[in-house]
Amino acid sequence: MSWSEESLQRADDILARYPEKRSAVMPLLYVAMREDGYLTDDGMRQVAELTGVTPAQVQSTASFYNMYKREPVGKYLVSMCTSISCFLMGADDVLHAIEDEAGIPAGEADDEIGVEHAECIGACGGAPACLVNYELIEGLTPDKAKELVAWLRSAKPDVINADEMQALFGGKTSFDWGIREERGAVGPFPAFGPFGTADVNTDALEPGRST
Amino acid sequence: MIVEALTRRMNAHPTDSHTMERYLETGGYEAARGAITKTRDELVETVKESGVIGRGGAGFPAGLKWSFLAPARPAYLVVNGDESEPGTFKDRQLLERDPHAMVEGIIIAAVANEVHHAFVYIRGEYPKPARRVQQAVADAYAKGFLGKGIFGGDYDLDVTVHLGAGAYICGEETALLNSLEGRRGEPRLKPPYFPAAKGLYMAPTIVNNVETISNLPYIFGEGVDWYKGLGHEVDTGTFLMSISGHVNKPGNYEVVHGITWRELIYGVAGGIRDGKELKAWVPGGASAPWFVPEEHLDLPITKDETGKQGSMLGSGAVIVMDEDTDMVAAAERLVRFFAEESCGQCTPCREGTTWLDLILQRVLHGGGREQDIDLLMDVSDNISVGLGWPPKQTTICPLGPSAVSATLSLVKHFRHEVEEHIGRGTPVTISGVSS
Amino acid sequence: MVTITIDGTEVQVPAGELLIKAAEDSGTYIPRFCWHRRMNPVGMCRMCLVEVEGPRGIMLTPSCTMPVNDGMVVHTKSPTVEKAQEGVLEFLLLNHPLDCPVCDKGGECPLQDQTLSHGPGESRMVEEKRHYEKPIPISDLVLLDRERCILCARCVRFSEEISGDPLIEFMDRGNAAEVNTFPDEPFASYFSGNTVQICPVGALTASAYRFRARPWDLREVASVNPLTTTGDGVTVQASQNEVLRFLGVDNDATNHGWLDDRSRFGFEWIASPDRLATPLAKSGDGHTEVSWGEALGAAAENLSAVIEAHGPGAVAAIGGARGTNEDAYALASFMRSSVGSPNLDARLDDGLGTHLLSSLAGKGEIGDLETARTVLVWAADLKEEHPVLYLRVRRAAQELGATLITVHPTATGLADRATHTVTYRPGEGHDLLDRLRAGSGDLADVRAALDEGPVVAIVGRTGLAEDPALAEAVTAFARDLPQASVLPVVRRANTYGAIDMGVAPDLLPGRVAAGGDAGHTGWEKADTSVGLDTRGILEAAADGRVKALLLVGADPLRDVPDADLAARALDAVDVVISIDCFLTDSTAKADIVLPALGFTEKEGTVTNLEGRVMKVNRIVSGPGQARADWSIIDDLAARMGRPLGFESAEAISLAIAEHAPAYGGITWFLLDWKERDGVVAPRDGVEQPLQYIPTTSLRAVGSGGAKRGGFALHLGRLLYDDAVLTRQGASIADLAPGAYAVLNPTDADRIGANGHVEVDGHRLPLRRDASLAEGTVAVPFNQPDGPPLGGSSHVDVAPGAGA
Ligand SMILES: Cc1cc2nc3c(=O)[nH]c(=O)nc-3n(C[C@H](O)[C@H](O)[C@H](O)COP(=O)(O)O)c2cc1C
Ligand code: SF4
Ligand code: SF4
Ligand code: FES
Ligand code: FES
Repeated sequence: MSWSEESLQRADDILARYPEKRSAVMPLLYVAMREDGYLTDDGMRQVAELTGVTPAQVQSTASFYNMYKREPVGKYLVSMCTSISCFLMGADDVLHAIEDEAGIPAGEADDEIGVEHAECIGACGGAPACLVNYELIEGLTPDKAKELVAWLRSAKPDVINADEMQALFGGKTSFDWGIREERGAVGPFPAFGPFGTADVNTDALEPGRST
Repeated sequence: MIVEALTRRMNAHPTDSHTMERYLETGGYEAARGAITKTRDELVETVKESGVIGRGGAGFPAGLKWSFLAPARPAYLVVNGDESEPGTFKDRQLLERDPHAMVEGIIIAAVANEVHHAFVYIRGEYPKPARRVQQAVADAYAKGFLGKGIFGGDYDLDVTVHLGAGAYICGEETALLNSLEGRRGEPRLKPPYFPAAKGLYMAPTIVNNVETISNLPYIFGEGVDWYKGLGHEVDTGTFLMSISGHVNKPGNYEVVHGITWRELIYGVAGGIRDGKELKAWVPGGASAPWFVPEEHLDLPITKDETGKQGSMLGSGAVIVMDEDTDMVAAAERLVRFFAEESCGQCTPCREGTTWLDLILQRVLHGGGREQDIDLLMDVSDNISVGLGWPPKQTTICPLGPSAVSATLSLVKHFRHEVEEHIGRGTPVTISGVSS
Repeated sequence: MVTITIDGTEVQVPAGELLIKAAEDSGTYIPRFCWHRRMNPVGMCRMCLVEVEGPRGIMLTPSCTMPVNDGMVVHTKSPTVEKAQEGVLEFLLLNHPLDCPVCDKGGECPLQDQTLSHGPGESRMVEEKRHYEKPIPISDLVLLDRERCILCARCVRFSEEISGDPLIEFMDRGNAAEVNTFPDEPFASYFSGNTVQICPVGALTASAYRFRARPWDLREVASVNPLTTTGDGVTVQASQNEVLRFLGVDNDATNHGWLDDRSRFGFEWIASPDRLATPLAKSGDGHTEVSWGEALGAAAENLSAVIEAHGPGAVAAIGGARGTNEDAYALASFMRSSVGSPNLDARLDDGLGTHLLSSLAGKGEIGDLETARTVLVWAADLKEEHPVLYLRVRRAAQELGATLITVHPTATGLADRATHTVTYRPGEGHDLLDRLRAGSGDLADVRAALDEGPVVAIVGRTGLAEDPALAEAVTAFARDLPQASVLPVVRRANTYGAIDMGVAPDLLPGRVAAGGDAGHTGWEKADTSVGLDTRGILEAAADGRVKALLLVGADPLRDVPDADLAARALDAVDVVISIDCFLTDSTAKADIVLPALGFTEKEGTVTNLEGRVMKVNRIVSGPGQARADWSIIDDLAARMGRPLGFESAEAISLAIAEHAPAYGGITWFLLDWKERDGVVAPRDGVEQPLQYIPTTSLRAVGSGGAKRGGFALHLGRLLYDDAVLTRQGASIADLAPGAYAVLNPTDADRIGANGHVEVDGHRLPLRRDASLAEGTVAVPFNQPDGPPLGGSSHVDVAPGAGA
C-alpha cells in the first residue's frame, strides 16, 4: 500500500503546513484520491500512518464529508445542484436531462461518468448550476446539460476546465468570471496545486468559442 | 443604493483584479504595512470604532470579538470561507476576484490578535477560489508580505489554505475548527469551547468570515470615518448581498443597509422575471424565516428591523420566489438541505429534520393526511422547543432549529397550499431526488 | 458548596459540578443517554434538558453540560421539560427496531424504561425506518446492532477518552451516521467489554452473553475482580447456579466501573467442564477418583511421614495467591504452626520483596493519581498486567494533565500519553537509575519533572528476567521524591492478601516481620523464623532438602520463570499435594489432588495493591465435592493431629482481625455494610507494624549461572497468555497471540534476521520495534507453545532458519 514518491513528497509538504499532524488528514485524503481515483481503504490506511491516528479515525473523518468518495465515481463526476435557488430555476429538469443522457441515475456511476445531486454549490446567481469534477458551469438548461454529458463522453478531456465548459454549455453567471483560468481538474476531486490534482488544460477552448 | 468599496477593484479591472500587480497598483498592502507598526490595543480599537459586524451570518461585532481573545499564546486566526448556505455566493466572488484584499485583511487581523499562523478554510467545492487564494498567498510570500519578518520587520506570519470536503456544517465556526484539526466537522459545545477561549488545538482563536476580513484593508486604508460614512449608522460599511431566484438580475450586489426590500428586489435586482408577482422571499439564507410582500416589502433592510420581524439577514442571501412557486416544494427543498447537512450529533436535529423532510415529501407526492400539518408543527416544536425567534438553543448549534424556519413559514403564510396538496391527494410533479 | 433549588427544594451541591450529577447525588434523577459520569459531557442526546431560571428568563438547557452555580433555580419536571423529553424519546424511537423481546438489554434498558415512563404510545412516523445488517461482530467479543444504536457516542468516547484505542468510531453523517470499525480492523481493545456495559441500549452486546439470560432471571452479588490486583469492583450475575456475567462496578477508589476484557469475560473458567470435582490420587501415570476421606488421609499420612523422617522444614508450600485472605491465613497457620515449617511463599519467583509489597500499604493509593503532577511508571507494561491501573494512569496524563514518565525496556501501552518514554537494556537498570538520580544528559528533563510533586511512582519488575533488587532501588529513590506515593505492583490476584496473611518466608500474619517475637499470632507453637522463598524451595526440592511440596493454586511449571528448575524440583520431591481447581501441568504430577472452590463460590476478603481489603462473595456452589481451601487445610491439619480448629471463613476473618495486627478491626461486617469500596489496612488509628527495608534475598533470574547469550532478555507478560484461567475461559482462550520475539530493527538487520529468529534454539516469529533497546530481545512469557526461557537473563539470538 505504498504511494508514489511524488505523493509521499506532497504529503510531507502538506504535513509541514500544519502545527499538528492530524490537521493534514483532509488534504491527504485528497492526495489519496488522486493516487487511486477514489478513496480506498489502503488510501485511508496510508493517511492514518502519515498522521498518527487509527484508520478508523481516518474513515470516521472521511465519511463525514461528501467529497471523499469511497466508491469509484467515474472519471467525471457531475454534481448537479438541486438546492433551493437552482430548484426554483429548474434544476430538477436539468438533473433529469443529465441522468437521461448519461443513462445513470443520480447517486450512481459507470466507468466514465458519475452523477449526483448536490446541495448549494455557491452559484445561485447563475442557477441552475452544476460542477464537473468540482469545476463550475452556470446557467444550464436541460439541453445544454445533455450536450455537456455527450461532450464528456466523446471529447474525454484529460483536464476539466470550467471556462471551457462554461463557454460551451453555460449561460448566465453569478458574476463576471473575468480572465480565463488555465488550470483544471484531473479527476473527481478538487483541482488544487498542493494536492497535485490541478493541471493546465492545454487544449481548452477560448471562452466564447463554441464547438 | 449600490456603492463600491469591496467591489471597486473588481468592477474596474474585470480581468485581473485578482493579481498581485493589480492589487499593488491600486494601493494594495499599504494598510497592512501601516498596521504592523501599531499595537494590538490600537488595532482592536480601530475595528471596534469602525463598527464592522461579522458577515458570516451571526452579525457579531468584529472588534468586540477580537477583544475577547484569551491571553494564552499561540493564538490562531481562521478565515471562514466555507460559504455553503443556500443562496449565498458572495465570498466566492471575493475569493476569486480579489483574494489579495483578504490576504491583506489577514495580515491586519493577525497582527491585531498576535497571531503567527492563520488558516483560510475554503469549502471543497470552491477549488477555483482556493487556487486564486493559494496563488495570492504564494505571491505575498514572494513579496515578503507573509513568512518570516513580514514587510522587513520582525513579525512572522504563515498562512495555510485548507480545503473543506463537502459539509455545510463546517461553516459553523467550532465545527470548522474540528474539521481543520482533521476530525469530523461536528460543532463543539459552547460553553466551554468558545473559539476565542479554546479554539483551534484548544488555543485562543479568532474566526472571521471572508467578507469581514476583506473589509479590513478598507477600514485601515481609507480610515474609520470614511468607512462609517459609507453606510447605515448602525450597520456600518457596505454589505455584499447575494440575490437569486426569480429576479431579473440575480447576482451579488454591494449595498448599504437601510434601503428597503422593495428597493433591493425591484430596484437593484431588476424585479421579478417575466413580470410575475412576488410571492415571498428568504431574507437571509436558508435558515431565515420567509418574508412576504404584504408585510415586509417596505421595511428597511437592517439587522435590527429584520430581527424584530422574526427573521434575520444572516449571510446576506436573498432568495426570491414568484407567484408560480409551489411553496410546499420550496419548503421541502430547504428542509432537505438541513436534513442532509445535519452533523447528526443532536437527536432532535438528526432525526427531526429528516422526519420533517419525509413528511413534506409525502405531502408533495400525494400522501398527505389531515393531521400532517399539526404533525409538522409538533415535530418542529420538538426540534426548536417553543418555536420562538430567535430559537431557543436546544441543540448544540443553531442548525437544528434553523431547519424549522421553512416549515413554520410555510404553515404560517401558505397553510392553504399545504391543505391543497393534502386535499388533492394526487401527486404534483416534483422532480428531483428524494433523500 | 453552593445552594441550588431543584424542583422547589434547596440542596447543597459542590460548586462547578455538572447539574445532572449534582441533581442525581442530591436525589433527583434526570434522564440521560449520552452522559456518563466517567466521561466528558457531549450534550448529544438532548434527553437531559431541564429549565434553568436565569437573568434572561427561563432557559431550556442540557443539564449534562451545565455547571451549577450558587442560587441556580432548576425545574426538571416542568411541562416544557417533559414535552422536550417526550420529543427526544419519540425521535430516538423513530428508527429503533423495538425488538426488545429478543434484545439482551431488554429489562435493563434505559431507552425501554424511559419509553415506558415518558414515551409516546404509538409511532407517528409512517415512513420506513433505517435498516442495517443485523448484528455484526466488531471484535472477538462484541457484536454491534446498528439499528438499535441511538448514537450517544458513549462507546466512541470510551475508546478515545478512556482506553485510548480509537478503533470504534462514528461513520458517515447526520441521519446516516452509524457506529462502526474500519474494514478488517476490529475493535481489538483490551477494554471492549466496557462499551457493552455502558451502551444505553442493546446495540453493543457481548458474544459471551448473547441470549444467555434475561435480566429478570439473574441473581447478582457484589464482589471483586479475581484476576487483577487493582481490586476492581464487580457485580457477578448468575442464573441457575451458573455465573453468566461480570459487570464493572464504579468503585471510586479503584476501577471507576471499568474492567479489562480478560476479567470481564474470563469467568467462564468457573463453569469449565475441566473443573476438578472429586479428589484424585495418583495411580500409575494418571489419577483415580477417591473419596475426601481417602485423599486427606493419604495426604496427612504422607506429610507426617516426611516430617517424621526429615523434619518439618522438609515440607514446603507454594501458592495461595488465588484464594481469599481467609484461605491464606489458614495456609500460613497450617505451615508455620501445624507443620512447623517456615518454607512457604505465595509468590512464584516472579514477585517483589515481601516488605516492599506489604509495608508501603496505606502510603500510596490509586486515587493519588487524581492529584498527581508527575507519574513515574517503572514497572511491567501496565496495559498488559494491570489494565485498570493503566486506565487510571492514562486518565491522569490525558484528562488531568499529569506529566507521565515510563521507564521500561520498550515503549509501553502508555507511550502515546507519556511525556517521557525512557527505555533501557534489561540489566542496565541500576546504571539508568543512577543517571536519573543525577539528572545527567538527556535525563535532565525527566529528573526535573520528578521534582514536581505530588509524584506517584508505580514500581515493579519490568519483566521476569529482571533483577527484583532494581525495583527496591527504584522504590528507595521514588520515596524521596516530593509528596511521593509509591505503588509497588505485582500481577497475581491476591498476592498482597496472601503475603499480608503470612504466606511468605519472612512475614507472619498481619505484616509482622518473621524472626522476631511471635506472641501476637495466637499459635500455640510455631516456627516463626525466616524460611525459603519459592526459588529457595524449588532449589531445595531439586537437591533433596525439601521432600514434600504443597501446591495451593500454583502451577510452578508454567508460572515460575525458570521452568527447568520447577521441573527438576517436582521430579525430585517425594510428595506433591495439590489444592487446585484444575489439573494443570504441575498438579498432574501431584500424588494427591484436592478439588478447590473458586471465586464466586466462596466468601471472604482479598487485598489489592494499595493494601485495600475488600469483600468477595459467593453466588454459585462449586462443582461436585470441591471445598474451600481453608476447609481442606483445616481438615488436613486435624488428620495430622495438629488441628487448627477453624469453623468457617467468617470465624477465620475474626481471627485475622484479632491476630493479624495490620488488619485490626477489619471485619466482614464493616466491609459488607459500611465500607463497600473496601478499607486500606491498617485502618486509621491502627499502626502499620512493618517498616520498609529493601529485600536482598530475591535473586535475579539467571543470577546463578553465567550470562549465556549476547542478548539481554526481556520477558514480559501479555494480558492474554496461557495461564490456566485464561485457557479455561472459552471466550478469551484464543486471544493469546502466541510466542514471538521482538528485536530492535538495527539488531535484526545486523544479524540478518528476517521473518523468524532462533532464541536459544527456539524458532519464533520476528517482530521489529524501534523502541526496544538495542541488544535486547523481548519474548512474551507463557504464551501457547512458547519456549521456556525464564532461566537466564541473557540468550542467544540467531537468524531463523529458512527465513
Ligand atoms: C450552521 C451554520 C453555518 C454557518 N456557515 C457559515 C459560513 O459558511 N461562513 C461563515 O463565514 N460563517 C458561517 N457561520 C457563522 C460562523 O459560525 C461564525 O459565526 C462566523 O464565521 C464568524 O465570522 P464573522 O464574525 O466574521 O461573521 C455559520 C454558522 C452556523 C450556525
Ligand atoms: S444542531 Fe444539528 S448540526 Fe448542530 S450540532 Fe446538533 S446535530 Fe449537529
Ligand atoms: S453503540 Fe451503544 S454506546 Fe455506542 S453510540 Fe450506539 S447506543 Fe451509544
Ligand atoms: S442553490 Fe444551486 S448553487 Fe446555490
Ligand atoms: S445526557 Fe445530556 S444531552 Fe445526553
